[in-house]
Amino acid sequence: MSTETMTRAEAAPAVLPVGRYGYDQVDRTFLRERIEQFRDQVNRRIAGDLTEEEFKPLRLMNGLYLQLHAYMLRVAVPYGTLGSKQVRALARIAREFDKGYGHFTTRQNIQFNWIKLEDTVAALEVLAEADMHAIQTSGNCIRNITSDEFAGAAKDELLDPRVHAEILRQWSTLHPEFTFLPRKFKFAISGSPHDRVVARFHDIGLIARPGPHGRPVFEVFVGGGLGRTPLVGVSLRDDLPEEDLLAYMEAILRVYNAHGRRDNIYKARIKILVQALGTDEFRRQVEEEFAAMDRARYRIEPALVEAIKARFGAPDFAPEGNAAAVLAEDRRRDVRFDAWVRTNTHEHKAPGYISLVVSLKPAGGIPGDATAEQLDLLADLADEFSFGELRVTHLQNVVLGHVRQDQLHTVWQRLSQAGLGTANVNFITDIVACPGLDYCALANARSIPIAQKLSSRFADLELQREIGDLRINISGCINACGHHHAAHLGILGVDKRGQEAFQITLGGSGEEDASIGQILGPAMAEDETVDAVARLIDLYLVRRENGERFLDTYRRVGTAAFKDVVYAPA
Amino acid sequence: MDIRSNRRDADGQSVITANRLLDGITVWRAADGSWKERITESTPVSNTEVEGLLSSLQGKAQELGLVGIYGVQVQDSPDGRIVPVTSRERIRAFGPSVHPEFSPL
Repeated sequence: MSTETMTRAEAAPAVLPVGRYGYDQVDRTFLRERIEQFRDQVNRRIAGDLTEEEFKPLRLMNGLYLQLHAYMLRVAVPYGTLGSKQVRALARIAREFDKGYGHFTTRQNIQFNWIKLEDTVAALEVLAEADMHAIQTSGNCIRNITSDEFAGAAKDELLDPRVHAEILRQWSTLHPEFTFLPRKFKFAISGSPHDRVVARFHDIGLIARPGPHGRPVFEVFVGGGLGRTPLVGVSLRDDLPEEDLLAYMEAILRVYNAHGRRDNIYKARIKILVQALGTDEFRRQVEEEFAAMDRARYRIEPALVEAIKARFGAPDFAPEGNAAAVLAEDRRRDVRFDAWVRTNTHEHKAPGYISLVVSLKPAGGIPGDATAEQLDLLADLADEFSFGELRVTHLQNVVLGHVRQDQLHTVWQRLSQAGLGTANVNFITDIVACPGLDYCALANARSIPIAQKLSSRFADLELQREIGDLRINISGCINACGHHHAAHLGILGVDKRGQEAFQITLGGSGEEDASIGQILGPAMAEDETVDAVARLIDLYLVRRENGERFLDTYRRVGTAAFKDVVYAPA
Repeated sequence: MDIRSNRRDADGQSVITANRLLDGITVWRAADGSWKERITESTPVSNTEVEGLLSSLQGKAQELGLVGIYGVQVQDSPDGRIVPVTSRERIRAFGPSVHPEFSPL
């Protein structure tokens, strides 16, 4: 049956996946047609009917890069939510088409580093069987819409953002007007007052909250971003009604598409346009475009939102019972479990439930890497304990969103047996790192080895607890895929006449108090950088006052003292 | 030419490299014109000759089943092996440092 003749109602899925939008036959037909297009393109490339210059944009439209050692396939995880079947499909790709690993990124994507061009279509078929794809994970288009890893579960959440993330996903996928923007374009959306999506460092960041008549309104941040020119986004609207969400997004994109610079790749992001015009003028142009649009055509009626919402499966929570008492007793009896619960869990809105974070940062490990076996285990645990649903985080960890408190000890034991029980979330060893020069064709320096050295240096859990919350992010080049600018302690790899060196930044934050880390001074060799970080931590421990995080102490004390211990050690 | 490989001393020597079209794996040109996965099997040419050789090879990339042919300046290491002068090309030659088991050597 063709996509033209099948109605959505006829094609509706019988069983809805929990936490994400259920594909129907129309979606699946579209993916199959897309794969057949790409199969033909790959065949023509191999036969020589397409040059590499002609083929490159076609493979990038399907998430296929050529990196240092091989092709790399980037797969989108819309709003970070995955079903167990999807995770098993990712494990299969890691096992059959890669070297046994997948790498979770800061954009809630997963990357495979050793894909063969001749296997790519088969890998895309495995993805499609699980309602996944790699479309728009590259190119100057709207990329994967990211969201809060605790969406629909967090106790502090005002509104589940995933339905609107899905509306934005459907609007932006293959949008004919925004397929060739001046540069890539990144959205993030949250429904919590606590910014867990780095909204202020996105091209557009949306924070949803309940508005009048029970419908959501959105605060709209525009023009944030990291990279060569790090900027905190400006708040363009505080009260965008749900019905105008798509029209207003379209107005912003139109202004950007019309005026964004295409003559200079380094000045092409919307953040440069917003700065060049000034917030008021940019807002004026957006409002002018918005006013001129046929708003009725874009209006999101409540019925549409509810129809999309109806395509999401919801967890069937069990009564609370004595789950909390069982958890309290398990914690009392097992101090290692208690330590893990303190760091790796998050309060759930449903009584008797809890969200848990699986750290992909074991001592000395590679941040964000998961083996095929670990992926299969996570899928099994999701099926047994979390309604078959998982989430990936922008901090390169995995979340099981809805676990009964009385089953948490069992889940932790199973995770620990697979090397996934590390109790370090938000600690100094919960390091974010891009693939860096070990894989990436754009990088200037390796990110992973310095992350591993720091992780080993601070592996002692007591020491980590003593240091407390401290975010370290590492990027292997100025493109800042490791979000180093947004870290309390950031590390940037640079190229010094063909050799790797590292710069330290201090004072960044990606949350509500968003700030850009300040460069401390000249770049150093890798081992010197690790030693310098240790001295920075020592200074913090000496200078901190009651209850201060590293970031608080840095902001109070100022840069000079920290600079002294890095560049003039006693 | 990749901009980060554009560090070519007039009196130095370079090897020719590319990625294979079918699997993307890094390869290096040997003296007999074949393409090897190990840089140790490649043969350096003087930097005065490398540009001429590159332009003739780049025209044959499709026929050779290769993508992105370019030159990489190398030097002799103390153990007598040839080693690229830049970190980037050393990692490309010897594999990701974080997974030594993935090294082609």
